[in-house]
Amino acid sequence: MLGQLITSGVSTGALYALTAIAVVVVFRNTRTINLAQGDFSMIAAFIAVMLLKSGFSYSQALACTVAFTILLGILVERLVMRPIADADWLTLFTATLGVYYIMHGIAGWLWGRDTKAFPYTFDPTPVHTFGTVISVGHLLNIGWAAAIGAVLFVFFKFTKQGVAMRAVTDDPETARLMGIPVRFIVLLTWGMAGFLGAFAGILLAPILYVSPQMMDEVLVKGYVAAVFGGLYSIPGAIIGALMIGVAENLAGGYLGSHYKTATAFVMIVVLLALRPQGLFGIQKRREI
Amino acid sequence: MVNKTSMSRKSVEVTNHAAMTKLKRRFSSQNAGLILLMFFILLALPFIPGFKPWMANQLSLVLVYVIAAQGISILTGYTGLVSVGHGGFLAIGAYTSALLVKYTGVDIAIAIVASACMAGAFGFMLGLVFLRLSGPFLAIGTLGFAFFIGTLINNVPFFEGREGISLPVNKFMGVVLSDVSFYFLGLGFFALVTLFIFSFVRSSVGRSLMALRDAEKAAQSCGVNRFFYRMLAFTVSATITGAAGALSGFSVRYVSAEVYSDIWYSVDILVAVIVGGSAMMMGPIVGGTFVALLPFLLETLADLSFILKGLILIAVLIFAPAGICELIARPFQRWRQLQIESVGKETLVNAPSAVMHQH
Repeated sequence: MLGQLITSGVSTGALYALTAIAVVVVFRNTRTINLAQGDFSMIAAFIAVMLLKSGFSYSQALACTVAFTILLGILVERLVMRPIADADWLTLFTATLGVYYIMHGIAGWLWGRDTKAFPYTFDPTPVHTFGTVISVGHLLNIGWAAAIGAVLFVFFKFTKQGVAMRAVTDDPETARLMGIPVRFIVLLTWGMAGFLGAFAGILLAPILYVSPQMMDEVLVKGYVAAVFGGLYSIPGAIIGALMIGVAENLAGGYLGSHYKTATAFVMIVVLLALRPQGLFGIQKRREI
Repeated sequence: MVNKTSMSRKSVEVTNHAAMTKLKRRFSSQNAGLILLMFFILLALPFIPGFKPWMANQLSLVLVYVIAAQGISILTGYTGLVSVGHGGFLAIGAYTSALLVKYTGVDIAIAIVASACMAGAFGFMLGLVFLRLSGPFLAIGTLGFAFFIGTLINNVPFFEGREGISLPVNKFMGVVLSDVSFYFLGLGFFALVTLFIFSFVRSSVGRSLMALRDAEKAAQSCGVNRFFYRMLAFTVSATITGAAGALSGFSVRYVSAEVYSDIWYSVDILVAVIVGGSAMMMGPIVGGTFVALLPFLLETLADLSFILKGLILIAVLIFAPAGICELIARPFQRWRQLQIESVGKETLVNAPSAVMHQH
């Protein structure tokens, strides 16, 4: 029982981590708390439903959706965020809220407000691993999240753009002076948010079903996870997301499913009371 | 500051000062006149022929939004702290009063006071934890709070979840209220809150808050207790929003988790303040009206109203970052500025410094 709750918690947490990483990446490069992150996922899920229903295979639909959502992220940066790039964080935050409203409205308008099933269902076949039982669907989700994590690791460690992105995180002014195209990197950041959002949406869709408000809860948990890493550290956000996934699953298993959603809040209150700067000491924090 | 300049110009400065004071007094009486005019129009609305009771209901709802937005403007506008969780206080207010009326049958006057106190107490406790944070961290923390309250009222049986709590006829000081008289009650409350914020902002407390907002380190080194004043602002803001919550419950005489567990309720109130203009008297009034009336005007096109709200929000942020009210007030401000400058030119050489102190 305990082992099973923990493993399925890790699986959900891994999907929260995708949202949390996107929140961190966007925040540390642009000072923006991105409220529209959940909507990238939501739109991605709707488009995947559409493609799967019109006869595309899962991998084709995945590829198309990811490409579309990356474009969507870039579009948001270009049209909404760039004109106000120098404003204070509240303005940036509210602008993403505007994007949230627009995407919500469009999704509700095109596809309706009611909840839809995802054509590609979650595979509940049990597999015995490491002494506990875990379903194939959970294993697949963990595998996907780990693969994306590996891709991000390679990107940040070994590619020119990844290193440039870290440079912008550390000090945008110096990065600009060193000849790094900061605007392009910011564009790339939003593209990455779209990329992560697409995967989060498609992987969560079989569990949460598809509706305009499907990601609201996940988004709040992604934020809380991001705060665990001080809104700055990707490993911190991942660990935070896994902790939330496990904790809420344990609360759901032992206290009753009502308490599941409240766990994230209790965790953030405890965290903030004990360590306001996040779980992991931040190397450098910008004045906000 | 005027007195600091050289002694030889003293007589000139005194006349300048007098003229400036006179001008300033005229401006503030103009401002007060405008606000009074607005109240008279609102007061006269129900007497316009063709006015239906359901309109009074809708107007009460607008007032609820406006009062809640006024509550958040103390925090966001004047203190510079951003809360995305005021829907939580709204819910606390609504549920406190609804449960009180349901189980004890008290007068709604008592219920409103009680729910304001309850929300204030919650605000105080939350402030103890959350005011160690600022900026985005505080926003996320308060969003988590709204989410938590939403989960609670949805799942704890005492709050009757989505079934909701239906309330009996409103009795205020023993008088049974119709929809229209409830609107008058809301209006009275709105006047009270407006008066309170007006004097609060101009008091030493308000000045301390704004000093903390604009130059935290400088204010602290002048002896402004950061923790105390921020706690005060948070508590007062929660109290006002809690009272608005009580009013919102009574205006429809029905409280259900479906409405109050929605975290985007909290976001709506914040949007009201930002669209209207956060650090101005009229800001929350205009913004609250906008947020409350937009879905009503486009009732049949719910999704379109979402899109429109998003577009307006982004347009406001790009073209009028200080809010719609600031945009409207800009030409009037410029006109006043010219008047001030002309007075300054007639009487004083160093007018620019005096102009600066008008703000």
